[in-house]
Amino acid sequence: MSSIKASQIVKTYGKKEVLHSINLELETGKIYGLIGRNGAGKTTLMSILSAQNPATSGTVTVGKEPVWENPAALEHICFSRELNQMVGNTANSMKVKEYLKIASLFLPHWDREMEQRLVREFQLDTKKRISRLSKGMLSMVTIVVALASKAEFTILDEPVAGLDVVARETFYRLLMEEFTESGRTFVISTHIIEEAANVFEEVILLDEGNILLKENTEELLERAWYVSGREDEVDRATAGYTQHHAERLGRSKGVTILTEPGEAFVTNCDVTVQKVSLQKLFVALCGEEGERNDGKR
Amino acid sequence: MNEILSQEKSIYIQIREMIENDILRDILLEEERVPSTNELARAYSINPATAAQGVNLLLADGILYKHRGIGMFVATGAKKKIMEKRKKNFYDDYVKRLVAEAKSLGIMKEELIAMIAAEGAPEQVFR
Repeated sequence: MSSIKASQIVKTYGKKEVLHSINLELETGKIYGLIGRNGAGKTTLMSILSAQNPATSGTVTVGKEPVWENPAALEHICFSRELNQMVGNTANSMKVKEYLKIASLFLPHWDREMEQRLVREFQLDTKKRISRLSKGMLSMVTIVVALASKAEFTILDEPVAGLDVVARETFYRLLMEEFTESGRTFVISTHIIEEAANVFEEVILLDEGNILLKENTEELLERAWYVSGREDEVDRATAGYTQHHAERLGRSKGVTILTEPGEAFVTNCDVTVQKVSLQKLFVALCGEEGERNDGKR
Repeated sequence: MNEILSQEKSIYIQIREMIENDILRDILLEEERVPSTNELARAYSINPATAAQGVNLLLADGILYKHRGIGMFVATGAKKKIMEKRKKNFYDDYVKRLVAEAKSLGIMKEELIAMIAAEGAPEQVFR
């Protein structure tokens, strides 16, 4: 399998366009992090990539095969959805083991041994009904489905939501074990950015239905800087760069800037220059609305 | 190789420094096998591509070498090489910062030199 390719994906729900002509290529053998704010379109994009949701227009292909209603392509893709306990959800009345059984029927490369090992690792009670599980246990079930699917392209929607910190570390360890052994491709969405940042080879930043950037995580962080000091010095130091998410306190000001790839940030101004974490960068790039509100006041 | 990864520096730089530190402290000995990039990835829950980036810097410097099919090893003379390299960086990494901080505190040159001369084997205090 070469890659998953999405071309000009548009998705509208009613009159609202939630994805605006998305182009995206996911190569095999990488772990991608999909990050974006609530309502940015992450789950919609993931469900379209895995043909669980039709795009309004545009195509998704695996190799040369379109994924839509194409079993030959879909056997390579697993989208482990977030489970929820909304009324009317058919999974609710199932026991965990029944849910896993059904997943195994739909996923031709299912690894039963791995399923059992993971169930033990997470101490999941497979006799419990889905409707009786805690939020963390629901996430564990989706993780078991994703890893045991052995699908070449595995997409996880918020796998760590509701997991305690020990279980989250367990997840990252299991993920790295599977990834280093198999080289499968993983696409993982998460809101707990900081602890996942080191796992992602590339990060895809989705903002209001657009891909703001898709870049090697290390390379991105190497060109992100937080510059702070007296306002005029900061402005002089960052002249020519876009100032993201300016924060002010009295005479001092802090801004996040991105230099060009491979370009160092050089200044002779009296400012403090610091590295930016992925989480801070995310807030700087996607969290501008707080600032807009400040302007109105 | 049990240091904790921080957010302050790129991960691959930290991987390189951790291996270097272990060589300097005789935790990893010359001609001994070092963990593979996959082992590093699993141990730290970091992407193997990132671990490889750090290891590749050490391979390029001749501090590690590859034995096809077996793994990576600490080169003979690696310890000396690391010391020489760090001595070269000592001016940039420490002296410049020391002088800049002394300047902003109004510490005179003679005062600073006297301070350094007075230090024997300093004990490090962490608070």
